[in-house]
Amino acid sequence: METLIVLSIVLPILAGFMMLFAKNDAVTYILSCLMLPLLSGMGFMIYTADLPIYINTPDIVNTFIIMFDFGLLAYFLWLGYQRKSLLVGLLAVVQFILLIIVVYMAPVSGTANIYVDKLTAMMYLLVGIVGVPIAIFAAKYMDYAEEDKHKFVGIVVGFLGVMNFAVSVNNIEWFFAVFETTTLASVILIGFRGDKEAVDNSTLALWMNQIGGVAILLSLILMIKDMGVYHFTDLLALDKENITMAAIGFLSIAALVKGAQLPFHKWLLGAMVAPTPVSAILHSATMVKIAPFLLLRLSPIIEGTLLSKMLILTTGFVFVVAAIFALTQDNLKKILAYSTISLLGLMMVAAAVGTPTAVAVSIVLIVFHGFAKGFLFVEAGVLEKLYNAKYIKDMNMLLTKAPLTMLFIFFAFLNMTFIPFGTFIGKWLMIEEASGFLSSGSFVLLILLVTTGGVFLSVLYIKVLGVAIKHHRFSTFDFTPMPKTFLFVGVWYYMWLLVITIFIAPFIANFIGEIAAPIAGKAPIYADGLSLVIGKSTLYFWQIAGALVLLLLIHAAPLFVKFKKVDKMHPYNCGEIYTRQAESYDFDFITKYEKRINSFAITLFLLVLILGGQLL
Amino acid sequence: MMAILFTLFAPIIGGFMYGIERVVKARMQSRIGPPLLQPFYDFVKLMEKRPMMVHSFHAFMGIVFFISTWFAMAVLMLGNDLLIAVFFHIISILALTIGAFSVRSSYSIMGAMRELIHLVSYEPVIILVVVAFYLVTGSFDYRMILSADTIPLLKLPLVFIALVGTIPMLLHKSPFDIAEAHQEIIGGPDIEYSGPFYEAVYTGRWIEYVYVFFLVFLFGGSNYFVGGLLVVFTFLLIMAIDNSTARLDYRKMLKFAWFILIPLAIVNIFFLALGGNS
Repeated sequence: METLIVLSIVLPILAGFMMLFAKNDAVTYILSCLMLPLLSGMGFMIYTADLPIYINTPDIVNTFIIMFDFGLLAYFLWLGYQRKSLLVGLLAVVQFILLIIVVYMAPVSGTANIYVDKLTAMMYLLVGIVGVPIAIFAAKYMDYAEEDKHKFVGIVVGFLGVMNFAVSVNNIEWFFAVFETTTLASVILIGFRGDKEAVDNSTLALWMNQIGGVAILLSLILMIKDMGVYHFTDLLALDKENITMAAIGFLSIAALVKGAQLPFHKWLLGAMVAPTPVSAILHSATMVKIAPFLLLRLSPIIEGTLLSKMLILTTGFVFVVAAIFALTQDNLKKILAYSTISLLGLMMVAAAVGTPTAVAVSIVLIVFHGFAKGFLFVEAGVLEKLYNAKYIKDMNMLLTKAPLTMLFIFFAFLNMTFIPFGTFIGKWLMIEEASGFLSSGSFVLLILLVTTGGVFLSVLYIKVLGVAIKHHRFSTFDFTPMPKTFLFVGVWYYMWLLVITIFIAPFIANFIGEIAAPIAGKAPIYADGLSLVIGKSTLYFWQIAGALVLLLLIHAAPLFVKFKKVDKMHPYNCGEIYTRQAESYDFDFITKYEKRINSFAITLFLLVLILGGQLL
Repeated sequence: MMAILFTLFAPIIGGFMYGIERVVKARMQSRIGPPLLQPFYDFVKLMEKRPMMVHSFHAFMGIVFFISTWFAMAVLMLGNDLLIAVFFHIISILALTIGAFSVRSSYSIMGAMRELIHLVSYEPVIILVVVAFYLVTGSFDYRMILSADTIPLLKLPLVFIALVGTIPMLLHKSPFDIAEAHQEIIGGPDIEYSGPFYEAVYTGRWIEYVYVFFLVFLFGGSNYFVGGLLVVFTFLLIMAIDNSTARLDYRKMLKFAWFILIPLAIVNIFFLALGGNS
């Protein structure tokens, strides 16, 4: 089993390098297609094995990783010099110094450096099933007027390996290394097109993520000084009284930065200047998912503390505000980015609550958000390349011009909010769970935040769908048949989402329940046949099936519903000719408050650290 | 058994409620008003009309709106979780708004957008109402709420006021009939439906009546008399407000919901939960 784990980390990285050097279409295609069965298969085998697995690594690996760390920081310093960014350079220097202190202070520890539990195995599966198709998609996408195809696909595939590594480390020093490596990968990918905007945005991503790195290092210093441990498992084994909350507070800050929570959301928005597969990979299976993953690792420590309540308020606030911001946007990729930020907030809310059900909710959201967001960004890429449509206000008549793409987008949007899909289950369980703790004020607010955030997201998706479905008289688009690769990726996601949703009750009760149980204990969730039972409440299968049939009817109706014998007429327009078109609203007035909201978010951030980390 | 019958006859009950509403409204305006069965006469007449549509998708969405509203009613009555039923309601809103967006009429599209504003206004309040029920009775199951010893109204007076405040938004009554706004955007999402397709939307709205007033009825708890009284009182109150107010714009509705109704519900839940007498 150890071999499989090492392979799922090393194999994608090797494949990435091979693509990089071979620069051959066949190699790129075959390798990226090969990764799909390999990574998901290995993920499944690891998942079914006897977990958790600890792997002791030779000292040389540790030395190598520390060397790599210093090398990486030196590279960041050089990037800061090259791009004339004082901030990047300064942060690199600070990290350099802090890292020296950490390496100097760190005691020798016999704890295994690699730790693979069910949660890690699930992330392997997610990377395999959701992440690899994006690489396959990228191989075709880059054929459309883009340069350096092989380099791009190689980095994307290698990134998957880094992600696999990130979720399996136990040593927090190593975690810092992979944290910075994912930063590096995102910087390269965001700046891939090399124009000024791309470089600026990648610099932004660099310094913002470096703040996360500084936070991890500070937390490491505190941890080693006060508790003498620097492994996740050692940390979890400690008594709650002996834990310095400040260390955990700093780690949470790192999670919030990586998860692009306000006010650090700009770097994820900046990622949209890169080729679309970059957004797909950052948003779905990798990178931002480190944030809820890290909080899930820590959630047994956080649960019930003041830090937990502060995190609930901060991320819950982001859940609502990011959803409202998304309403002001017109660019499809920006809308998707804001909705990712918002849903990441919900995942972290759930992880911070830390009760068995809440932990299960967080995992459910990670899985379903990964699928749906990967799907949506892939289809956004299709729209961009085949139809040259980037703004939703341009997307007129797409229903007839791009029926299949619209069908996919429609389905993915439904997945993001409606009953009976996973994201809905997450919201629903969160409200039910919070209802049990109403005597605590933060949980009343939690219900309000989850509800309103959910409503705003529903409105957002309905609005986007409505605008895309609008019938204008003229359309600038021509029907373009979809290449087979794009079709395959679309159908792949579609089928997975559909099948999981039909069997959602056993999926959540058995699969997710099994993952959540070691973290926070057994959640009162079980499957009765295909019905989902949670405590006293039941989501019956007839409800799941009914909702699914209704939604499938709604989203596929444009393709097959044709009333033959009914007469057609023009819409009523009060006797006027059609000179005007009703556009959709853009909630522009909210941008007025953006500064205030940002400063409020900064305040919350500091409160997380000061109150939650008990620095006072 | 009662639940199944209630679900099956929900459109008819809703039709009667609509008929009563029209009579009551007329009496409030010193008119005689139409006969009680007028909605059903309308039904027959609309079914006999020549079916016409803008395009098939739009017409079909009208039918889906009806089916999904009815299904949400079934979930409310036959399921054991009110929250799920509340979330099901959004599916019918999806069908209605997507359908309204899909035609080229400005009125229809504006209506759809306003419908979404309605959703933002009332949905948080409805969920807070359900959570408040949970706080009082310890269950999301309406059967448990209906067999609770206490009358929920006594513990949740502010929540009840918040719910009453949202009913005009849910049922498109003045002063919050913003999505329909007959004099302004001529029915909003409904405008392009005609004949049997309009009938579907129309009947779907009847079911919404039953759905909403069932929530009101729950405030009586095991005391069905109080519940019934509440329904009658609320019904008359809504009619009186509908008759005596002018339409506000959507900003006022949003502000009213967010700065008055939601805080009311929150304050009630806060005091009840902190008081620990749940």
